[in-house]
Amino acid sequence: MDRRELLQWMVAAGGLTAVNRLSATHLLALGRDAHRVTAADVGRLKFLDAHAAMTVMIAAEHIIPASATPGATQANVTAFIDTMLDGWYPAADRARFLRGVAELDARSVNRFDAKFMNGTPAQQIALLEFFDAEVTALRSTSDAAANDHWFAMLKYLTVWGYCTSEVGMRETLHSYPMPMRYDGNAQVRS
Amino acid sequence: MTSDIAPVYDAIVIGSGMTGGWAAKELTQRGLRTLVLEAGRSLTPEADSREHVQPFDMPFRGLGDRRVIEARQSMQKRSVSFDEISHRFWTDDVDNPFSTPDDKRFDWFRARQMGGKSVIWGRQVYRMSDLDFEANLRDGIAVDWPIRYADLAPWYDRVERFIGVSGQAEQLAQLPDGAFLPPMALNCVEAQVRDRIAARYGRERVMTIGRVAVLTALHNGRAPCHYCGPCQRGCSTRSYFSSINSTLPAAQATGRLTLRPHSIVRALDFDPTRKRISAVRVIDAQTGAEHRYSARIVFLCASAIESARLLLNTTSPSFPNGLANSSDQVGRNLMDHIKWGGATGTIDGFTDRRVIGERPNGIYVPRFRNVAAKHPDFIRGYGFQGGAGRGGWASATRAPGLGLAFKERLTQLGPWSMTFNGYGEMLPHESNRATVHPTLKDRWGVPSLHIEARWSDNELAIHRDMNVTASELLDAAGARDIRAHTHGPSTPGNANHEMGTARMGRDPRTSVLNGHNQAWDALNLFVTDGACMTSSSCQNPSLTYMALTARACAFAVAELQRRNL
Repeated sequence: MDRRELLQWMVAAGGLTAVNRLSATHLLALGRDAHRVTAADVGRLKFLDAHAAMTVMIAAEHIIPASATPGATQANVTAFIDTMLDGWYPAADRARFLRGVAELDARSVNRFDAKFMNGTPAQQIALLEFFDAEVTALRSTSDAAANDHWFAMLKYLTVWGYCTSEVGMRETLHSYPMPMRYDGNAQVRS
Repeated sequence: MTSDIAPVYDAIVIGSGMTGGWAAKELTQRGLRTLVLEAGRSLTPEADSREHVQPFDMPFRGLGDRRVIEARQSMQKRSVSFDEISHRFWTDDVDNPFSTPDDKRFDWFRARQMGGKSVIWGRQVYRMSDLDFEANLRDGIAVDWPIRYADLAPWYDRVERFIGVSGQAEQLAQLPDGAFLPPMALNCVEAQVRDRIAARYGRERVMTIGRVAVLTALHNGRAPCHYCGPCQRGCSTRSYFSSINSTLPAAQATGRLTLRPHSIVRALDFDPTRKRISAVRVIDAQTGAEHRYSARIVFLCASAIESARLLLNTTSPSFPNGLANSSDQVGRNLMDHIKWGGATGTIDGFTDRRVIGERPNGIYVPRFRNVAAKHPDFIRGYGFQGGAGRGGWASATRAPGLGLAFKERLTQLGPWSMTFNGYGEMLPHESNRATVHPTLKDRWGVPSLHIEARWSDNELAIHRDMNVTASELLDAAGARDIRAHTHGPSTPGNANHEMGTARMGRDPRTSVLNGHNQAWDALNLFVTDGACMTSSSCQNPSLTYMALTARACAFAVAELQRRNL
């Protein structure tokens, strides 16, 4: 089974929960693929150190995984997140983000006896779903509080970075290149 | 350092934007050697348009360089068309300070470059009608306009034919039709909304496609729009009207135009015996050197508040309160349009339909309040702009989930929503004014302004009514989940329609300019930017500024030929 078949099978089986039923070999193949793409990029980052960058990269790929179209890793989302942390966010937000990455590791060690990046994909996804649920719970009472959560920041940047990337726009969203015309009554892409 | 330069020009135009470009075109085409003084840098469509830069080619993917912007453009960034690319077309707030009272914020959007704010304007163009020109007289407000629609109609024609305006004729007395290029299309949902509003309201409330200075056909050597989207970043095909896309090249083609960028006009010299401007004093923004230029006539087109600033900063024994200010009206009657009233609703159906391309235009609902029946709570009225669309991936940035199902969500379009946003008329009040700040100066040592403006009860009543009638329109359209806007009124100035600070009138004691935009106190000075406006109407004003400029140029040249100037 190659990676594309594997991912198509995952989609057919119902998405995320299917990860739990994959063999360790398949999961490692997924993980290695993601790691290979970005290892060279980590050295160019301005804010994230290698450990934080790898953690962000793995988490972002779980949020927007590769399928028939590229995932967050191939869209180089980690570099965008690094640029935003380095040059855009105030110091308090940057510190909160790094505390979140540390908390992700601490929770992973506590629960699975391994740092996040060394866990199995299923373990990694379980941890991310835990934080996603925390954000959702906060959102039921306060959007502002939810948006301040480090994982909300990670997800916002992952989605923004992916959807404004060349591969994301071209291959997943089909929003590039420009259509050069206006049609206000076009068929939705099937 | 002052260097005197011999008067080799027939006319000087101060400002190169919306009206300065028109003055340059009209004056040069009528045979005048014309010098245009622009405070900012040179700009050309070929070298400076950035509309096709993709998000992934921007460091912050369209979110802007937050730290630099907050440090240098904390006020300019409030404009709706300010972004990571277009920020270069707004001024630096640190170099160009002004003050307001702490509890009365005013948004003063400024552009210093060849083309001025015509590079970044919203491009909506609507004629005023006699409902507007007669309004002050009818209501006993401020002073009467010295002109009526018939005076301006041929000049609206002339401007529209040259700049290219796409739009739909609607035969409404309160919004005269013009010389239109083919209209842009309503999308499928907007067309249904229009038809349903017509079914309930007939000709009382009409929804149409916006009238916009963007080409839908080849026009005067400029290409039609290709629907790429971000007009505020420039236009390499010159498809939207700006002075650098249209009027300045036409002026240049006469061989009688001289453009001088980096030229900050500090003051005007006045000859009290001849009641004439004798020279224009310019600071070279790059070298700091001062220059003087002379000409037979001067057109002041620096934008409403800058023009008032120049007049107020030009004091002399004849005019201790500022040039051409014997009426004490310069800087007063500052107006804008009140915004942020309206509503949004969801339109069911059309789930297999989408929009392709970025239409640089929306819908328009012409004013319907106080047109036939009198409203009990306020005078004047407002129009709506807006449109229908489907949300995309942006909503997923704050949505739960991760993995393949979440990724799939990024590609899904949300339901159709329809929005109406009001633009309401602001009444002129003498207390809404700009004055010279006693100590604050800009980077070049020119005294800055203190600006005080607030909405009156009439504007606030208009703002409240926008929420009511926008909801009614959505109800007529069959929308569900109708949500009136919950934010308060916009900050004065935020509509980018500042005007009124050197008004036209019929009496030199109560107005600054006569019916030809000529200063009562300085006969060779014409002010034709938004400063001249006697009332604001609710329509986007640039078309009227341009028509008034073209008309004033014809008058000035005729007066020169009659040897009256």
